[in-house]
Amino acid sequence: MHSVNDEFWSSQIRRILESYDETLLRQVATRLCRPRNHWPAEELIDRCLDTIGNAAMLDRRLKDHDDCAQQLLALIGQSRQFVWNVGNLVEMAIALGAADGLKAVRDLLEAGLLFPKLGVFEELPAADRSLKAAATGSSNSVAAGFSLRSPVGRGRLKDFEVWLAQGTLPATFAHPAVARRAMSRPISWPDPPICEDKRNLTILEADGLDWPLRLAVVWQMATSAPFRRTQQGDYFKRDLERLQNDSGLTGMSTDSLAPTSDLGLAAVSWGLAFGLLREVEGEVVPCEFPMSGVHTGCSPVTSSQEDKSPADASGLASTLAGLWAALPRLQDWNIARGWQPGAMLGNPYPSAQLLALALLAAMPEGHWARAAAVEDWLISRHPYWSAGNISPRPSEDEDLGARGKGKNGKRGGKQSPSAEPAAGISEFLLGIAYPLRLLQAARSANGEYWVRVSPMGRWILGCHANPPPAVHFPQTLLVQPNLEILAYRQGLTPALIARLSWFASWKTLGAACTLQLEPASVYRALQSRESLTSITQTLERHGLKALPDAVLEALKTWSNKRERIAVYSAAALFEFPGPAELSEALARGLPAVKLTDRLAIVPSEDGIDYRHFRLTGTRDYCLPPEQCIEVGDDGVTLTVDLARSDLLLETELQGLGEWVNAGANSGRRSYRLTPESLAAARGNGWSLGNLEEWFSQRTGLALSPAAKMLFTAASTPGIVLRRQLVLHLDNVELADGLLQWPPTRDLIQARLGPTAVTVAEDDVAELTKRCLQVGVELRAT
Amino acid sequence: MKLHRRVCLIQTEDAILAEEVLANRRIAQDVVGRIADRVLLVRPGRVEAVVQELQKMGHTPQVLR
Repeated sequence: MHSVNDEFWSSQIRRILESYDETLLRQVATRLCRPRNHWPAEELIDRCLDTIGNAAMLDRRLKDHDDCAQQLLALIGQSRQFVWNVGNLVEMAIALGAADGLKAVRDLLEAGLLFPKLGVFEELPAADRSLKAAATGSSNSVAAGFSLRSPVGRGRLKDFEVWLAQGTLPATFAHPAVARRAMSRPISWPDPPICEDKRNLTILEADGLDWPLRLAVVWQMATSAPFRRTQQGDYFKRDLERLQNDSGLTGMSTDSLAPTSDLGLAAVSWGLAFGLLREVEGEVVPCEFPMSGVHTGCSPVTSSQEDKSPADASGLASTLAGLWAALPRLQDWNIARGWQPGAMLGNPYPSAQLLALALLAAMPEGHWARAAAVEDWLISRHPYWSAGNISPRPSEDEDLGARGKGKNGKRGGKQSPSAEPAAGISEFLLGIAYPLRLLQAARSANGEYWVRVSPMGRWILGCHANPPPAVHFPQTLLVQPNLEILAYRQGLTPALIARLSWFASWKTLGAACTLQLEPASVYRALQSRESLTSITQTLERHGLKALPDAVLEALKTWSNKRERIAVYSAAALFEFPGPAELSEALARGLPAVKLTDRLAIVPSEDGIDYRHFRLTGTRDYCLPPEQCIEVGDDGVTLTVDLARSDLLLETELQGLGEWVNAGANSGRRSYRLTPESLAAARGNGWSLGNLEEWFSQRTGLALSPAAKMLFTAASTPGIVLRRQLVLHLDNVELADGLLQWPPTRDLIQARLGPTAVTVAEDDVAELTKRCLQVGVELRAT
Repeated sequence: MKLHRRVCLIQTEDAILAEEVLANRRIAQDVVGRIADRVLLVRPGRVEAVVQELQKMGHTPQVLR
């Protein structure tokens, strides 16, 4: 079946082929689609992609390769992770018996069945990644999780040898269709461990929820506060302690058969690989919870409804497949050494883990193998360990001593650098693969664990067409009046875990998990897509008993309290000329909330069709103030250009002046500054400096004298009113002369203008006398 | 009609609650105007701080983005 997932990978291959040098492209195309003519490059790429989409042709091309190359592709298919480091592929090839592991990789690259990871890979949004498959029921889309940036502009690839010899770890990817076809042939394992059809064993099988629950806990922790990373890739001390000491996160699982070190750090690493968390500027923050059934996002990778498996109604199978697919991408943590920040170059665990599971899946169905035998096989065949990178398995006491540091030591479970730890494959099988429901386990009389691939594991590894049918117990929650929720594991599903994670806090994980309804958790849910109704419906649908009144009341109280205050962070606010226009717009379907008789608001203007409304102006609230006021001749009448005014101005003017209802219909509105309005502004905290700055910003002018007088008059000292005699002179020269000649100068009080001076009443006689001396006669009127 | 984009504001259930919010000195510094009895205009870029302060006051504001 050609799914949307395949189309995504095909588009990536097209971009990679476009970045090949034409000579290299023709060499690859010659082996992949065998063109008989000299086709243009574009045509060749189309034909290559047609070949990849044609099962019969693919089978013929696969037969051209040796067993090792085909088995590598089959292993990639079983991993559900289509991106692999070349180093891991080489390790797998050598473990399968190849003398030169790189030869098989090079052969596949040259044949167009494997492609180099060129350019920069981009993580897809978390919700679009593998775990989202749980919500959509997608089964074969879980391994994607990245996209390629266009290679255009980069140098064209001319030679695989040069690319393989580059300094960084080269990685490759395969098309899912190619991997699927390769999986149809069984892998021939050299000297596989002995397997037995053992009877009368008590078969243990986990429910597969252990890691989804741990990831839910770590997601909630990241929601409350992000995990901050140092430049060396470690976590800050406080966050490290949170991850190491959280009892719910790091507690030994009832489903785990082997101790696992640094569980909290493993969970955060897995969450990052899985797309539940993401790293932003040195902080690990939560993504949208992709196990949620309420998610409605869409990506080219996982939105295909055709991928839905009816047998996976609960979403568990696809969630576990997603976790399995993310496992090779786990960074900084491995089963043997625990947390290893920044020290995992040449990490052998992605290949070792895949080989271990694929080896078990190749055994006859129902047959068991000793977990230790699988580890022994890997140690003897895997080049990382067969080269001697291993120390004897520590004794039980030593082992416990080392792991005991995990709780309180800075690096729990880590061993001294001088001593290489045991391979940890048994621990992986019993501590990771078993809780992930990939394996069934049984303990023999001598205490040894025997393992075999479970029905779920067989589906995940591609041995079965459908996952095992899910047994569903919808009623699994016991909500208690003290707001504690008891969640019985047998009824939990990934979708329910996701919903519960939104509105309740996980407290303990176990056969029965406990959660607590808290104001903060309910608020978080209400702030997302949940509502009071959806929360109560979830609790009632999955509750063993009716929802206690106290719980219902608490939920209502928190919900109502939240509805008392609404904060619009970037809303669209519509301003109408008057109430009638606002009412008319609402009647015509404007999806807005009325704020005042002229203002209405919508949280987002995305859904508004502006063709039905006439906009007279648009202003961005976040832009700086604009000059949009004209000052009248009187200095106190301010006329606003409504097309350019902003919301701040309206509120400012309402506090400074009085609205003059003239000219409102001509796109202008006038306000008048009055003694009363400015006195009120002064009382509201406006200072003369504020007013002058505001006036300058909004009018482009200095504060008018009238406005200044109105604002400051109240604080001015009293004005003196007095009688004075004014002497009007015939010309300026005479006035200047009187003011300069000492006998008259002392008798003149002030000059009022060019030809007017004031004289005290008592000095009139003396001034008349002195003026007569120079021939000027003063006449009183 | 005129459109104002990216407006930050607080709408309360009643005027008394708006007064209570305004009585908080830190929030009052970020409120630049009061459009109506129940509607407070928030300084651009200060919404997160206002929400945090409201939460400190014990409110659980509904943040509409």
